[in-house]
Amino acid sequence: MASISLLNPKAEFARAAQALAINISAAKGLQDVMRTNLGPKGTVKMLVSGAGDIKITKDGNVLLHDMQIQHPTASMIARASTAQDDSTGDGTTTTVMLIGELLKQADIYLSEGLHPRIMAEGFEKARDKALEVLDQVKVPVEINKKNLMEIANTSLKTKVHPLLADLLTDVCVDAVLTIAGDKKQPVDLHMVELMEMQHKTDTDTQLVRGLVMDHGARHPDMPKRLEKAYILTANVSLEYEKAEVNSGFFYKTATEREAFVRAEREFIDQRVKKVIELKRSVCDGTDKTFVLINQKGIDPISLDALAKEGILALRRAKRRNMERLALACGGTAMNSFDDLQEEHLGYAGSVYEHVLGENKYTFVEDCKNPLSVTILIKGPNKHTITQIKDAIRDGLRAINNTIGDKALVPGAGAFEVRAHNELTKYKETVKGKARLAVQAFADALLVIPKTLAINSGYDAQDTIVKLTVEDRLSPELVGLDLATGEPMKPADLGVYDNYIVKKQILNSCSIIASNLLLVDEVMRAGMTSLKG
Amino acid sequence: MDHTREILTFQFGTYANYVGAHFWNQQEANFVYDQENGGNVAEEQLPHNDILYREGRNDQKQTTYTPRMLSVDLAGTLGHLPVVGELYGNFLQLADEQNADEIQKVKELAEQNKLSTHGELDVRKQPAATLSEYQQDLLKGAVNTHDKDYNLAGTCNSWADYLYARYHPRSFNLLHGLVRQPDVQVLGTHAAGVELWQSVSFNEDFCDRIRMYAEECDGLQGFQLLFDIDDGFSGLASKCLEHLNDEYSRASFVLPLHYPRNIAYAQADPRTAHGIRVANSVLSYYHLSEQANMFTPLSTLETIWRNNTLQSRRLPGLHWQPDNLYQSSAVLAAYLDTVTLGYRLRQTPETLLRFCDRVCPSGRKMTAAALALPLGMQQEQDLIDYLDQGASGSLFTQLTPGCEPGNSHIVQSVVARGIPHARLKRPLELAGPQLRMSAYKCDSVSQMLQLYYQCAYHGSLTHAAATPLPLKTQLPFPYEIFETRVAADGFMLPGEAQREPKSRVASAPALAAIQNSSKLGEHLDALHGQTHRVQVAKLQGYSQSGFERDEYETALDKLLEFRDNYEDSQYL
Repeated sequence: MASISLLNPKAEFARAAQALAINISAAKGLQDVMRTNLGPKGTVKMLVSGAGDIKITKDGNVLLHDMQIQHPTASMIARASTAQDDSTGDGTTTTVMLIGELLKQADIYLSEGLHPRIMAEGFEKARDKALEVLDQVKVPVEINKKNLMEIANTSLKTKVHPLLADLLTDVCVDAVLTIAGDKKQPVDLHMVELMEMQHKTDTDTQLVRGLVMDHGARHPDMPKRLEKAYILTANVSLEYEKAEVNSGFFYKTATEREAFVRAEREFIDQRVKKVIELKRSVCDGTDKTFVLINQKGIDPISLDALAKEGILALRRAKRRNMERLALACGGTAMNSFDDLQEEHLGYAGSVYEHVLGENKYTFVEDCKNPLSVTILIKGPNKHTITQIKDAIRDGLRAINNTIGDKALVPGAGAFEVRAHNELTKYKETVKGKARLAVQAFADALLVIPKTLAINSGYDAQDTIVKLTVEDRLSPELVGLDLATGEPMKPADLGVYDNYIVKKQILNSCSIIASNLLLVDEVMRAGMTSLKG
Repeated sequence: MDHTREILTFQFGTYANYVGAHFWNQQEANFVYDQENGGNVAEEQLPHNDILYREGRNDQKQTTYTPRMLSVDLAGTLGHLPVVGELYGNFLQLADEQNADEIQKVKELAEQNKLSTHGELDVRKQPAATLSEYQQDLLKGAVNTHDKDYNLAGTCNSWADYLYARYHPRSFNLLHGLVRQPDVQVLGTHAAGVELWQSVSFNEDFCDRIRMYAEECDGLQGFQLLFDIDDGFSGLASKCLEHLNDEYSRASFVLPLHYPRNIAYAQADPRTAHGIRVANSVLSYYHLSEQANMFTPLSTLETIWRNNTLQSRRLPGLHWQPDNLYQSSAVLAAYLDTVTLGYRLRQTPETLLRFCDRVCPSGRKMTAAALALPLGMQQEQDLIDYLDQGASGSLFTQLTPGCEPGNSHIVQSVVARGIPHARLKRPLELAGPQLRMSAYKCDSVSQMLQLYYQCAYHGSLTHAAATPLPLKTQLPFPYEIFETRVAADGFMLPGEAQREPKSRVASAPALAAIQNSSKLGEHLDALHGQTHRVQVAKLQGYSQSGFERDEYETALDKLLEFRDNYEDSQYL
């Protein structure tokens, strides 16, 4: 009897072998659920909820969230997978698969009496060796469009149809390259705005070198389209707030209050006047036009005054768009209208409005040297857009990772096969029972090419044998060609994975798997009730 | 400036959504589609719906009219409702028989759009959610409000079961991963709510939705916030209020709601549960006293924090099951609807800010709620007589737990509804004894109430408003809570008479007030009195979410400072 039951008779607990069995079965269960997702030939799931909500996804992460996991072990693995997604944006399915497989392989030896502690130590050794192999096989790459296209394409092909993937690849690479310029540094992906438009018939994704905002002018007389526009971005309230006027009992007479109200209104009018003055000074006599984009509100009276001057004014812009605007069009976001100068203004070749149902969109395009861009996703319904959006997000991450790593790892299971072979060799140098754990680790890695083969309809054993033999013979890495089921050189087909993703997977999987192995007691405290 | 003064409403938590659902049902029951037959209520005395509602257009080019509202709730509370709402498509109508075809169609369309990597999509369908009988009839357009007994009180599992109103796709925010459990509150502590607010995935999307609503508004005047104070939604609401003040700096009227029963928390015995409840309240009150323009705790319970027997308030003429969420939330919603009518009527100069400031002198931001439903007026009785005879007792029942503002030195705002002008007093020739009353010179309901409270409450300040529009109490309002001595029009039957057993109360007059007096300090004392039993460090829910002890200490100190506002010497 576990000691906890002396303290709390309501506690439930499971010990040693039983605890391990719980953990292993949970990991395997999760692996089974995720198995069919892996790789470009994995199936895409359409989830229909009890209320009729539709979700289309292949993302392991989304699926895990949707399953609302209650099992403690499973939720731990799910969390590891989420962490993987947060830090690298890819490899969530692989994480789950690998953890499951590590436990499965470990189980074989554990059932023969190997102590989990030795297993864990062996895993650690194997992981270090695998990381070494990873460093050896990584291919340093030059950051150019071709290389980035290849990595983005590999990532996107696992999410959507190849035809769509090709289109998205172009968009993603162009987006990142536009922002990165010549610097070859990872970019701030927040500067790529993803804007969605639900359109009945149109499915299209395009890159806008500028900004698209999800709101428009709120005055009927404001221009719908402007060319050669100066852009003033501001965070200044242009609405008359009664707030200060009403609170407190400061007024002796009604006239005094009236005067105060007028003064307050005057204050706002002054601000509007300053904007108008600036507009006149920079635009009068030229063909230039003027746009005001404000993070705070603009009330109808101010809108009216601005509309009379032909100024297009937008209120309540997204906070992040202030930053984006400054990068896309130049200029600075103003926090006050005192001392407005021309150099504070940004510039865009064209600004126009697009109305779709109850939603308005404002395009700010033809910027001089945009350091912030927008990817515009059009789709006939919400779930289509969401699916494309998720894919784009992963594609962008993959590109950014590559720029950061300046290296790639050959994909299509090539690394796993090589690591397997290297580990098998390495095993011989390991003393004692830990070598069994190294072997287990080596075998577990093969789950990736195996699943790729199964998902593409090939025989798993057959493929693995072919691949491992081929790998031993060839100095170059060998991966699985999903179209033929034969070994191939990933470099030839341009199939690459991110270095950081693989590294992260090796690290987190071995740690989680070890932790789960070392669990020798699972308990769940019941209610500790003194009163009964 | 003659534009709409919009108000944005927030509902945080399950019970808040219960109350909210009743509130919006009530709004729609009062829509007048045909001015000609709009009944006997003059146009300017109807609520101005644009304040709370927005007009929109869905992609079928249909015009929609939906509440400006944002709701946050646990996963699993929506039941049959798709999270995107039902007006803008993007979901499958599962109640229909042919939905197998529909799924097939969606699937094919998605494949055409190249969403599948190769081959077909793998469809995984969860079993369709069960529709309550009321919703089934609503779908068929065959709701029978007169005879059919839907037994909503007994069968309703969630507020979605009796929701008549339809929401905009922006409105629902489900907390994925936090699934509602029948016996345990999943999001337990204030600190957990704060953490949730700060998480990127929630925060960005939610703040963007607030911004979208605010962008549409020409003259946003403020916010109404409803939230569950007993669980983690209190933290969410506190943080949200902070955000609103930072970004929008508008008036905010906040209503913390206490569940009518004690909810349990994960891994907590009754004692710890009590500790969590008190800590949640302390932290919320602290935030509200700093951030809100006014806050009014609401509950049908008589007292909270230390109410082991769960003694419920009783309104004369009503009888509801004390722990029933559906029925008790209807009472609170009736209060909310009535008391807010003051600033929602057409052509009223009243604003939310003025409404708040009027009853919160010198920093006394906490106010108490009081309701009279149904109003004890008898059929054929005039208001003047009713006030004359009932002058001895207070007309109200308090709806703020543990608050008795007393009947002197009160600042209050009173709204009366459903009293037709003809029932004010009798015309001169028939007046008889009424002529001798000083109230006879009053020409409107609000004037008469003003005078009444001037006389009845010593040294008090009363602001009264009135509309002849009664509270609609047909389905989905729990009409069954009215006792048999209430007539179908909501007035009391004279003597021992009883309503015909088959007939239902369709509408009722009501009187609601928001009150403030130095006696409310006792409510804060009661809360403070509970705190020394609580050791925050020992509350697991709090220690888990990296909660700082100092923050709790600060909150306690500030609470005492806030209580000082209620000292007699502080007022005038």
